[in-house]
Amino acid sequence: MQLLKKIKNSYKLRRKLMAYLFILPSLTIFILFILYPIVYSFIMSFYDWNILSTEASYIGLDNYNNMLNDSRFWNALKNTFYFSFGFVPIGIIISLILALFVNRKIKGKNIFRTIYFLPVIAPMSIIAIIWTFLLNPDIGMISYYFSLIGLENTAWLRDPDLAMPAVIMVSIWKEMGFNMVVFLAGLQSIDESYYEAARIDGATKLEQFFYVTLPLLKSTTAFVVIMTVIKSLQVFDQVYVMTGGGPLFSTETLVQYIYKLGFVNFNMGYGSTVAYALFILLLFVTIIQLRYFKGEE
Amino acid sequence: MKLTNSLIYIFLFIIAVVTLFPFIWMFFTSFKVEADILAYPPSLIPRTFSLRSYLEIWNSIPFFRLFVNTVIFSVGVTFISVILDSMAAYAFARIDFPFKNILFIIVLVTLMIPFQVILIPLFKLLYELNWLNTYLGLIVPRASSAFGIFLLRQFFVKIPYALEDAARIDGCSEFTIFRKIIMPLSKPALATIAIFHFMYNWNDFLWPMVITNSMSMRTLPVGLALFRGEHVIEYGMLTAGAVLALLPIILVYLYAQKYFVQGIALTGLKG
Amino acid sequence: MKKIIFFTLILLLLSISVSAQTVELTFWNGFTGPDREYVEGIVNKFNEEHQDIEVKMEIMPWDSFFQKLLPSLAVGQGPDIAGMGREHLSRFADAGVIAHIDDFYNDYLAKENLPPSLYEAMRWEDKVYAAPMTLATAGFYYNKELFAEAGLGEEPPENWDQLFEYARKLTKDTTGDGKIDQYGFIFPIKGYLEAWSIVIWGNNGRVLEDGEIKINEAKAVETIKRLTDAMKEDKISPFVINGVEGDQLFASGKAAMYFNGPWAYPQFENAGIDFGVAAAPENPAGESVNWAGGTAMVLNKNSLDKKEAAYKFFEYWNSKESQIYFSINTGSPPTRTDIPEAEFSQKAVINTFSEISEKSRFPLNKEPEFSTIISDVIHPALERILYDEATAQESLDQAAEELEKFIE
Repeated sequence: MQLLKKIKNSYKLRRKLMAYLFILPSLTIFILFILYPIVYSFIMSFYDWNILSTEASYIGLDNYNNMLNDSRFWNALKNTFYFSFGFVPIGIIISLILALFVNRKIKGKNIFRTIYFLPVIAPMSIIAIIWTFLLNPDIGMISYYFSLIGLENTAWLRDPDLAMPAVIMVSIWKEMGFNMVVFLAGLQSIDESYYEAARIDGATKLEQFFYVTLPLLKSTTAFVVIMTVIKSLQVFDQVYVMTGGGPLFSTETLVQYIYKLGFVNFNMGYGSTVAYALFILLLFVTIIQLRYFKGEE
Repeated sequence: MKLTNSLIYIFLFIIAVVTLFPFIWMFFTSFKVEADILAYPPSLIPRTFSLRSYLEIWNSIPFFRLFVNTVIFSVGVTFISVILDSMAAYAFARIDFPFKNILFIIVLVTLMIPFQVILIPLFKLLYELNWLNTYLGLIVPRASSAFGIFLLRQFFVKIPYALEDAARIDGCSEFTIFRKIIMPLSKPALATIAIFHFMYNWNDFLWPMVITNSMSMRTLPVGLALFRGEHVIEYGMLTAGAVLALLPIILVYLYAQKYFVQGIALTGLKG
Repeated sequence: MKKIIFFTLILLLLSISVSAQTVELTFWNGFTGPDREYVEGIVNKFNEEHQDIEVKMEIMPWDSFFQKLLPSLAVGQGPDIAGMGREHLSRFADAGVIAHIDDFYNDYLAKENLPPSLYEAMRWEDKVYAAPMTLATAGFYYNKELFAEAGLGEEPPENWDQLFEYARKLTKDTTGDGKIDQYGFIFPIKGYLEAWSIVIWGNNGRVLEDGEIKINEAKAVETIKRLTDAMKEDKISPFVINGVEGDQLFASGKAAMYFNGPWAYPQFENAGIDFGVAAAPENPAGESVNWAGGTAMVLNKNSLDKKEAAYKFFEYWNSKESQIYFSINTGSPPTRTDIPEAEFSQKAVINTFSEISEKSRFPLNKEPEFSTIISDVIHPALERILYDEATAQESLDQAAEELEKFIE
């Protein structure tokens, strides 16, 4: 009895050690190449740090105080939420619908899957240039086609009220294929027998979706939601290329503002401060989501 | 049933057109002469078909060299990262160990700071390691990602324990279970994450741009950026380059796609 | 066999001694796009002609240039020499990361050969920090075909009153759908030269003068109000567009008048537009005041040991031969004044740009925070007026207030 327990304990211990061994390579890389720089920039957020000069002076909480009184920071925070609230739900629902449809036994599903994935693999820098050109209300292709059928094209990117919706649309267009593929991989790992059982019980397609697919897709959905939220709160590329944060700061998001502070104003100390505000926000939102999905699992 | 199917087709078709349009424009633009690109009224189909952009791009940038570097960089990262990510994901998904939750949050924390902010300390570190302008410096910092660990963890938790328990009774080691049972059952997820790493690094611009110091180490996106002038964009070359750079990823995607459709035959595990 | 070994040894020794003498000069700049080919042309030729120096150039878009340069400087690295917008000189000089090169002008390039304003632009406080790379100036581009259609003749407007009068005549809804399809005078804001300064100078106004803020004084306010009113009410220009969109409008024949640099010339020519280039219309004092910009070459303070090689390259870049080659191919005016106009007889526009550059001025003088002022103060001020968030006076008062903290 005693011996058996010992063996069991040593086995458990060995498994635990194995776990650390499995994590070790990834963790080493993270600590060295991401966490160390994160700590470094955290320290720098207490400094008046102009990137050009080699010296930085300690200024305590000044950067943080400035941030609280910086209307551009609050505006960027508001815009970031705006983007996130538009992009996350619409993007995820479209991805899920597409995944469900192309997961059916329909003809040409592979072609559709490939088409929807195309925007994901194209670099944002080029995509944004193309969209800006196409959306141009004066010489763009879309406005020309609209004018042929008597429709008027709106100057999306030039209107402070419409620029953000346009950025959200292009982002959804760009990203929907990726979450579709993640959902697809999730759908593929649902065993067909669950559906058989549901059918025998007389469940309709819709019921099957809500009572079989969705619950079994939970861990996939958790991943998609958490990652999409993290990604959306750090939106940068599309804003940078399509609007540069304008017109009138209506699309300036936090990361766009951080970039601007660091690499246009060269004020990296303050840039780090704003990055930490974003960090706290992300950490908070992510932990809440992890809790929520864990409770559901 | 018929009706639903046709409705679905219509829906899929409309989305497909919207999705494809910019690519069609890009494709045709790469065959246009510069004057035709800016002409008004615009024409989707080139008024004169020209291969000029495709011919000139070879002289204009060292396309082949950039291509090779991009392959080394993105394949290197993908290969190592898929292995490291899945190992870490396995531990997080299937083993209970102290500080697991904290460690998992620490992994996710790596996604929460914008790259622009850690760029300078990271650069300093690579400089001190003497890794600037090397493949090592390009690949190693990217060789594992929280994104991949998280995605794979979500798939690994779903795999039933039956097979694993049987293997354990047979005396299989932890590593064998990981390699012989979990990995083969997770092909769709592994294919997804491989595709993700491949295309993310294939397209990445800022990282290779900052880390490398010479054209001989550069990657394709960095090369294509040369057609984006401050005032004048060379649309012809840019689109031709983009078309050429897209083709390999499309091929990789088509190849990986067969693992998505394959699914997992879990049925056999139940008995 | 022995002979072969002997010769190989000699060759090896030779190659070692040659490579030991070769100075490698790293050179970063942002000349992407069509200009790149000709920047590479000069560098390659320099390398061919100088066995002892090798310039290793890296070209990248300007925004990534800074994202690469700043981390490199932070570890005491960075290129030996760099080309950058001359507006950055004061900031880099203040930070002490670039060397002053007064002796370059004593020993290599006589300042008398440069346009005085260009030499002046290379200075900060009492030292010279850069050698010229390109001289940029804005020309007033006008579409002759659209002028003829509107019955305005061949000549560009003489003064600003006439410019706005023409602009209204040239703004048209040709298809009758209530939407403007031809703009009289387009005025981009972002990703564009500082054309607002031309507009302010055009009314004898100033933004800053001798450390005093003048952007909210009557002359500046009046002219900005006139411009923004014409954009809002007469729709002479769409807003808010960027420089690339402005180029597209002009290149597609949908814009009649437009300020832009020499870099835009080949694009408009390729697009088959029949256009002319002139100096800015005259202000009430009868002067045409034009925009000047351009890039300068600087020497990294950590690379002082390669100073001589760098100077040789700066000299070569600014030689007559290189300048003629670069001008002919890119349309930029040369950085030297001693090249006879006849050299450019087949490309007369270069001489036009050279003449314009003699009547040009740098916006905002040499404020170290130039880029920040433009993006955080001036652009928002213009946008506030255009979107009716504030009147011209209110908006420029606010800009003046914000400028205070940059001017000390």
